Amino acid sequence: MPTYTDMTRCDGCGDCVDICPSDIMHIDPVYRRSYNIEPNFCWECYSCVKACSQHAIDVRGYADFAPLGHKVRVLREPEKGAISWKIRYRDGRLKEFTFPIRTTPWGSIKAAQDYEKPDLGALGSPLLSHEPAALHIAALPTIKKA
Amino acid sequence: MFTNNPFAALTDFLPPLVMQVYVVLMTLAVVVGTLFDVVHKGSAEFFARRREKSEAAAQRRLNGGETVSLAIATIAEAAVSGEFCKWPRRISHLLTMYGFFLYVIATVVMVFAYPAGAATPAILPALWTLGALMILAGGFWFFFFLRVDVAHDGASPFHLGRADLFIGSLLASVVFALVWHYMGTAIGDAVSTRIVFGIYLFFTTLLFCSVPWSKFAHMFFKPAVAFQRRVEEANGSSDLPSPAAESYIVRN
Repeated sequence: MPTYTDMTRCDGCGDCVDICPSDIMHIDPVYRRSYNIEPNFCWECYSCVKACSQHAIDVRGYADFAPLGHKVRVLREPEKGAISWKIRYRDGRLKEFTFPIRTTPWGSIKAAQDYEKPDLGALGSPLLSHEPAALHIAALPTIKKA
Repeated sequence: MFTNNPFAALTDFLPPLVMQVYVVLMTLAVVVGTLFDVVHKGSAEFFARRREKSEAAAQRRLNGGETVSLAIATIAEAAVSGEFCKWPRRISHLLTMYGFFLYVIATVVMVFAYPAGAATPAILPALWTLGALMILAGGFWFFFFLRVDVAHDGASPFHLGRADLFIGSLLASVVFALVWHYMGTAIGDAVSTRIVFGIYLFFTTLLFCSVPWSKFAHMFFKPAVAFQRRVEEANGSSDLPSPAAESYIVRN
């Protein structure tokens, strides 16, 4: 189901344009609000739906299998690390689902350049960058040569 | 420059009545343009249908006190541009919005109450200039750095499109207003001052007469939509999912 923007909700922040991996979320030249320029090319990853802080992006099914009034709405709550979906079926049934999306506060993940430059000697180590500290454990089990 | 009524100099070649009629005509242009916009785009019909759907899906009726309280909350949100999720856009919008209010109100008061300029209180031209400078600060910041098509969609900062009709004509009008006022007070050359005044008048007329094609009417639509959204959340007809019952943040 590809996405579309409700222009009465969109505040034109551009977050969906930045996050779309298919580069199909663009800015309407007349109203300066986002829109999906090519629903056929939508990967249906829903990154834009989840990124939109105004809940302005909705999804619509292809008319051949999901016609007549179905709806999918999403509520992202970064302060709770949760995302909730509300599904309305064409026969009127409603279902709601809540999923955890992260366990650390929103915006707390550091970019690679924010870490200290690793020691070149660590290239020979089996550990990945910043392990084991980044995994919040004291040490990783290692296989010792006999 | 900051203490002189800019419209007093116009009495040399324009009777005060002409200026006052112009202001009334521009106000009418905004009213007619907004009504035309509402009818032409079908937004009135769209919102009427949305309200009907909301009332049909409402889980409870709101009483008068709740509705008034929602209206106050909506006005409070609009007053601080709370709908914007990013601080730079919010500050830029606040500067432009309050600058526009100051500028327009000071203009109307000076044109109607002090057309001859002799007894104009110094605060009015100062507020007019301050409003104009706020518009320029917020407006140019938005135009060159914050416009979403420029900041996120790869458009040039000098790109102009129909979506820029409002901000472009507003900035041009204010720039030429200040240049005209400066030339009238500091240079005093009548011909060049009147040419700049003509350009100022052109962009001002464009600003107020282009409402059906520009984003001018957003200042009326946005609060109406925000109020309806609050009503839907309060009466249980919102189609958004219920908030999560628990927090999953377990580490800092």
